[in-house]
Amino acid sequence: MKRVSFKTLGCRLNQYETDTMVSEFHEAGYEIVDFKDDADVCIINTCTVTNQSDQKSRNIISQLASRNPDAVVVVAGCMVNNHKEFLQKNERITYVVDNEHKNNVFTLVDSHFRGEILHPEQLPSDIFGYQTVDKSLHTRTSIKVQDGCDNFCTFCIIPSVRGRAISRNPIEVYENIRRVTENGFKEIVITGVNIGRYDYDGLKFENLLENILELPGDFRVRISSIEPDGFGPGFAKLFGHPRLAPHLHLCLQSGSDPILLKMRRMYNVRSFMEIVNEFRRLYPLFNFTTDLIVGFPGETDADFEQTLKIAKEAAFSHIHTFRYSVRKGTRAERMENHIPEREKAARSSLIREISESNKRDYYNSMLGKEQTVLVEKFLKNGTVQGYGEHYLPIEFRDPAAQQNTFVKVRLDSLTGRGLLAVKL
Amino acid sequence: MSKIEIQSMIAPFTVTEVRDLCEASYVVRFSKRDLSFRPGQHLVVGVLGMSDAREYSVYSGRDEEFLEILVREVENGVVSKKLRRLNPGNNLEVNGPYGFFLTNAQPPANKKLLFIASGTGIAPFHSFVKTYPDADYTILHGIRTVDEAYEKEVYGEGRYITCTSKDEKGHFQGRLTEYLKNMDIDKETMVYLCGNSDMVFESIDILQEKGLSNSHIFTEVYF
Repeated sequence: MKRVSFKTLGCRLNQYETDTMVSEFHEAGYEIVDFKDDADVCIINTCTVTNQSDQKSRNIISQLASRNPDAVVVVAGCMVNNHKEFLQKNERITYVVDNEHKNNVFTLVDSHFRGEILHPEQLPSDIFGYQTVDKSLHTRTSIKVQDGCDNFCTFCIIPSVRGRAISRNPIEVYENIRRVTENGFKEIVITGVNIGRYDYDGLKFENLLENILELPGDFRVRISSIEPDGFGPGFAKLFGHPRLAPHLHLCLQSGSDPILLKMRRMYNVRSFMEIVNEFRRLYPLFNFTTDLIVGFPGETDADFEQTLKIAKEAAFSHIHTFRYSVRKGTRAERMENHIPEREKAARSSLIREISESNKRDYYNSMLGKEQTVLVEKFLKNGTVQGYGEHYLPIEFRDPAAQQNTFVKVRLDSLTGRGLLAVKL
Repeated sequence: MSKIEIQSMIAPFTVTEVRDLCEASYVVRFSKRDLSFRPGQHLVVGVLGMSDAREYSVYSGRDEEFLEILVREVENGVVSKKLRRLNPGNNLEVNGPYGFFLTNAQPPANKKLLFIASGTGIAPFHSFVKTYPDADYTILHGIRTVDEAYEKEVYGEGRYITCTSKDEKGHFQGRLTEYLKNMDIDKETMVYLCGNSDMVFESIDILQEKGLSNSHIFTEVYF
């Protein structure tokens, strides 16, 4: 039996696309092994959103290729779209597959072992043409509803590597959900590059979500990261549905209006906070997490102070902090007043402190509250770990717990990793 | 070779005219092929075969048989200098259209509209007025001298107000934001701003001080 290992870098969309490959290889009789183990096939699904992502992708490719000198090495994903020629020159890589042809990775590898060498770009391109996830590296599964982005933020390379915004036919989305829930998944994550801009023949994101919430089956729905400029006024009300998890990763990027303008974000701090405040008015315990970029060209101390202020005021329970990284060909590359790396690092560190403090405050505010945990892992200390509906990492003791089941708990105390709870 | 390059080689976007408007600014007109757009959207345009390209709002009307972009020649600019030297018959690489600016201003929205532009930021509004000449709009245009009031005859009588900072020939002599401070604006007006980020940022503050809701203000920044 051929052994295949996977390594995914970057976003949830990449995770989804890897999961579909895992299912396809598993179904065809391949053994799925940890990426640290020896394998006959190594598949690396790359990211290129920052310089650091490129560096990580390069390191992983190099490590896996040297550890498995005879393996078929497939490098796929966004780094391919951004650096295809560079990767094609690397003799240790067997196949270099861009996003448009990533749905063909199994065909390429399986054909390879049958003696047929195909070129990735000879195969049909279909960005939604992925197999339904059955076998997965994760307990929850994602549902891809959209790909690409037309926003063209001045710092962002994603429109160049993921292409124009395109929305998936809702009938295919509903069918995909039906199949994964039949395959046993209890939590689905709605994902895409810019899902708030979903628009299929006038059906907008909130209409799609409303329909998804009414589909039959026993499952919970979670939204992956979303931009604060796409959805309509009815969006917040949908979170009153018991099936929809009360958490959003709502991307702020900066708390300074002049910087948001230079980033070409389509909102300002006030409109962002109006969204946050409206959700908290309707659902006081609603969990917001976010992305922030520090050190965008021209970001002054005063701009950064504004970001610190909003980071506290919005009480994000987690802030994913990115140091601004020049992406070739973007508008920001040509902007003046680039910030020194040392200053970016200092700003990043201040944001992380606020993130930790916000997290403690939010977790404390949740003590005594009930959560429904989707069981994911069994830890060595005998506890069970999973995430509640507010996306809090929760541990509790339950000898009878089974993976991929919902368990009701009451939050009891904080741990180094998250929250400790008591089973109800 | 990318798919876009292949497409351009089969049927390129061909320049038909380069029209000077003033010392610094000019219009490039080129074939439309089957490209459709909404006023307010932008294109990424470069000379075919060159690696550099830049974003430009469409200047022409939606229903015209050609595409136009309004370009300001930038000192040490790579693309803006090359575009000005083009001749009819030269080919462009064009990608797009992109963006959402002015999307909600278009009929049947039927709202009172205030367009605020600096310099070549007038382009999306020019496209809008060419497409919807009967819309209820006012344009406030911040320029240095009146020769930057590009092709102003397109706009309806009394609908186009120039604010000139370096000569006294505009409707108002001074910065656009000074005029805006004293302007009466109905709170239901939908306001669209396009131009450099300092003007846009300062204007938003003024509009909000006047009581306009955040939900009535839309921006597109030029750099």
